[in-house]
Order: sequence, then structure tokens, then C-alpha cells
Amino acid sequence: MLEIKSLCASINGTEILKGLNLSIKAGEVHAIMGPNGTGKSTLASVLAGKEDYEVTSGEISFDGKNLLELSVEDRAREGVFLAFQYPVEIPGVSNVNFLKTAMNEIREHRGLPALSAKEFLTLVKEKSALVELDASLASRAVNEGFSGGEKKRNEIFQMAMLEPKLAILDETDSGLDIDALRTVAQGVNTLKTGQNATLVITHYQRLLEYIVPDFVHVLFDGRIVKTGGKELALELEDKGYDWVKA
Amino acid sequence: MPEPLSREAKDGIERLASFPTTRDEAWKYTRLARVAALQLSPLAHYQQPEPSECHETIDVIFEQHGWFCAAPVEGLIIESAGNLAPEDWQACTTSGHVQYLNTLAAQGGACLTIKAGYEIPKPIRIIHRVKGENFAMVLHHQINVEPHSKVQFELLYEGQGQEAYANILVDFFIAEGAHVHVDKWQNTQGTHYGFYNERIYQERHSTFCLHTLTVNTHFTRNDVEVFSQGEAAHTKLYGVFLGGENHLIDNHTFVHHMAPNGSSDENYRGVMKGKAAGVFNGKVKVYQHAQKINAFQSNRNLLLSSAASINAKPELEIYADDVKCSHGSTTGQLDALALFYLQARGISKEKATEMLVGAFCAEVVESVQSKHIQRAFAAYFTS
Repeated sequence: MLEIKSLCASINGTEILKGLNLSIKAGEVHAIMGPNGTGKSTLASVLAGKEDYEVTSGEISFDGKNLLELSVEDRAREGVFLAFQYPVEIPGVSNVNFLKTAMNEIREHRGLPALSAKEFLTLVKEKSALVELDASLASRAVNEGFSGGEKKRNEIFQMAMLEPKLAILDETDSGLDIDALRTVAQGVNTLKTGQNATLVITHYQRLLEYIVPDFVHVLFDGRIVKTGGKELALELEDKGYDWVKA
Repeated sequence: MPEPLSREAKDGIERLASFPTTRDEAWKYTRLARVAALQLSPLAHYQQPEPSECHETIDVIFEQHGWFCAAPVEGLIIESAGNLAPEDWQACTTSGHVQYLNTLAAQGGACLTIKAGYEIPKPIRIIHRVKGENFAMVLHHQINVEPHSKVQFELLYEGQGQEAYANILVDFFIAEGAHVHVDKWQNTQGTHYGFYNERIYQERHSTFCLHTLTVNTHFTRNDVEVFSQGEAAHTKLYGVFLGGENHLIDNHTFVHHMAPNGSSDENYRGVMKGKAAGVFNGKVKVYQHAQKINAFQSNRNLLLSSAASINAKPELEIYADDVKCSHGSTTGQLDALALFYLQARGISKEKATEMLVGAFCAEVVESVQSKHIQRAFAAYFTS
């Protein structure tokens, strides 16, 4: 599904990703771990198409398409979803209006008819229950005045609504207490099918107790330096990152 | 033998001999050379109106060749300004080029009186329809709102003109305890040069609320001047101005707090794209004996392109010592992170921009009372 080859990317002239390779197939859960400042969030931003980052070389293909040639919105419409580390507050734009617009633009891209108001509301009800998101939050402005936990739940709620092929969870565990973490992880697990894939980016092994990865990669200095199964995460927790660097 | 010119007229002619230039502070950002060069058709005179039919509103319509007027309701008198005797015109302070020109050239206008104690059940719409090449419309309306009455107005400026000109002056005399709400919608198409002046005289315990929505007009200059001369008079001036292409939208406001215990609240939002230029100049003057005044002014602007510009100038002049006044003005760009967030959910950049601009204006637009104008504004966004 996702094929990243020798990816190099920089921001403001500083190279962050230095030849990264990664291959993800449908039905798989991958985790990327690594210390601060090694390029984890850069990878997430580059995949989503954030303009601040410049891809200097390398390739990313997504379902056979050249992802780097697609606009931010077209990547989303093709099925890439980034759950933000810091979800953005947008005063004046209601969550419901935002999601409805997003869903209908994605559906139009896929040649599907727009949802009726009733169909949409039924979905909102069903999917917000999945992450125990208070239904009243749906009518509020996007993320405005949401607690840290509510913001993260809202991200997974959006993911549930948009049904992406590839979900990238960027530090979704940061700022979450253990109950919220469990709920969010449960939401992600429920959405898992044989046709979609998940890329979990995290510092800590904790999240991976709930979202169990098929592969764990260690990102260091802009490259993946080690790949293993879920037990690699435990080993990292035990020995720290110095062990990998050496 | 023709009557000799009055001193006021002579004075006016002298002042009109040359247009103000950008060296004149009030016209610093607005060049008038193109306006001075307009070749305008002779002005029609608006005498008696013809009837107009509308059930939801009371319509007064000015078009190229005449004007139309709904049957008045109880408590409302509508007259032709052209028929007013000199003593029926209330005294005003005429100042500036645009107002002098209006005084000299006005083709007529409507004189509306809301009788004491009446609440007019339907909004009164004064509609100005621009049409054709070299079209000129110069009108002076007078609106008398008698004590303890209540009324809602819509001032509409619509239609299409090429090398056309409008100079519309509206005077509001708001008596003690009267309440006036005005929603103003400016959406003329084509190379139309519009100059709009509102002078508002407020007596004690009166309220006046004005929303000015200017959308995609080629050239618009708004001057709103409020004389808050009675005690505890309250004024709200809200505005949204959206410009694109090479549009110029210039908003000037001037609030005179001349009596104690009053308030004014100003909130203007500007959004410029393309090569559009926007101006906000908001002046508040608190006179020496006008204690306990609350005067707030906020102006926020968004620039959506590098060639667009905004010139913002808040001015406070305070001669009283027990007042609360504040003003703030910011000009920035669209929040890049918010834009990215919306796009990352599959929303196109254009639509995302529209949503963010809509949200930016919402605070002002939400309090517009006119459903018609709310719809027109929303339609502009979804077109």
C-alpha cells in the first residue's frame, strides 16, 4: 500500500530525513519509535503533504500513485489520514460542518453521492460513541476549548468518519491519561480491517500495549536503523535508545 | 433674474473646485483621479414616487428613472425629500468633499419619519439599484426617528454600472429613547464608484446599531459619523469588507461622545485578496464633559495574497478623565495550520479558505438582523 524509498526531506534547509525506507501492506500495523528530533513527526508531515517540508529526493508511492505529486487534500481523498499530534483549534467553524464538508468532498472524489443530513447524523452518532466523544462536542467549533483528551478522541472520531486506507497516528498517546489512551486505542483497533493499515508514531511503548504492531521500526537520525516485531518495543523500553544508536 | 447663490452653495463650489488628494489625511489611501475623470450622464430628478408592492418589508426603491415606494404603515410617513420645505431639513454639520457635492447636486431622496412611540413591524428597505454606463445617483435621505419609537432598516446598494457614480447621504435623527437598527449591504458590480455617508444624531437613551457589509465592490468609500449628543446613548458600528481583484474599500468612522454615560462599540473585519486595498480609519472623540464613556474599537484584517493591502488607523481623542476606551487593530494572514488541518481532511484549499474567512467574519455577520442580507452574504461564499 505504502512504499517509501530513500526519502530525504528538509525544513528551512536542514535535512531531517536522510534516506528513509519503509513498506506497509494492507492489514498491517507499523510502529515508528525513536528519540526526540529524529524525524518521526517530519515523516508524518511529509506523508500528509505539509508545505513547510521540502522533499529533496526519494519516492513515496501510495496504492501505485505518486503521493508526492498529490495536493494535501487529494492525499486525504485517496485515503491518507493524519491524526495530529497537536489538533488545530478553528474558532467559528463547527465540527459538524467541517466533517460534513470533508466527507462530501472525499465522497465526490470517489464518485459517491453526497450524504443526506440524516445519513450523516446517524454516522456521527455511531462513530462518536466509538471513542466515547460527547455528542455535544460535535456542534462546537473544531477543537476549540476541547481538553487534550477530547482533541485526541476527536481525531479518532474523524478517522472513523472518513474511513482512511492509511491512518498515521502522530504521538496520539501524548497528553492522554490511561483511560483515554485505552478508549482511543480501542477505537483504532475497531476500525482495523484487512484493507487498511495503521502507522503509529510514538515515543513510548505504552500505546503499543493497546495497539499491537506487526512491525516496530526505530527511527534515528533520519533513517530507520532497526526493524523488528512487537518485542522490539519492549526491548527499547528496557534498554533505551542508546542501545540502538551504538 | 436668477437668485444669487447662497453662501453655503458658494462655499461648496469653492471646495469642489478641486478633488482632495492623497495629501489630504482623510483621503490618504484613496485616489480620486479616476472619479474626477468620470463622464457622467445628466442627473434625473426624483419627485413623486410610484407605488411598490412587497409584503415582508416596506420598500423604497431608487432606480435609474424614478423611485418607488410602498404604502406607509401606521406610524410611518414617507415623503419625497425634493418636496421638503427648507425648514423641514434638520440642521447638520456638512463637512468634506463628498458631502458638499451631495448638497449641491442631490437629485432628491426619501424623507422618512417614524412617529413617536411606534414600533414599525416590518423592516424598511431603502434599495438603490445601479444600472448602466456613466450612471450617476446623488441622493440625500433624511430619517427622523421620533421619541421612544423602534425601527429596523436595510440600506441596499446593488446592480451593475460601468464608469458609474453614486453619492448617497443618509441622515438619522434619533430622538430620546428611540432604537434604530440598520443593516447595510453593498454589492454593486462593475466599475462603480460609490460614496456613502451616514450622519447619525443620537439623543439621550437612544440606541443605534449599524452593520456595513461590503462585498466585492470596485470602489467604495463609507463615512459614518455619529454625534452621540444625548446622555446614555449607545452606538454599535459593525462592518465586514471583502475585496478582490483591484477593488478599493475604504471605511471611515467617527464617533463623537458629547454627553456622559454613553457607549460605542466598533468591530470591523476586512479580508482582502488579489490586488485589493482596504482601509479602516476609526476615530473616537470623547468631549470634556462626556464622563463615564465606554468606547471600544476592534479592527481585524486578513490578507489572502501578497499584493493585497490594508491600511488601518485607529484614533482616540479623549478630553474627559473618567472614561474607558480601548482600540486594537491587527492585520495578518490566514492561519496556515488551520488551512493545513482542513486540507488534510480532504477539503480543497479554496473551500478551506472560504470556511476560514467565513468564520473570521461570523462574529460580525451573526448579529445582522436582515435575513435577506444574511442570505446574500452566505450566497457570496458558496458561489
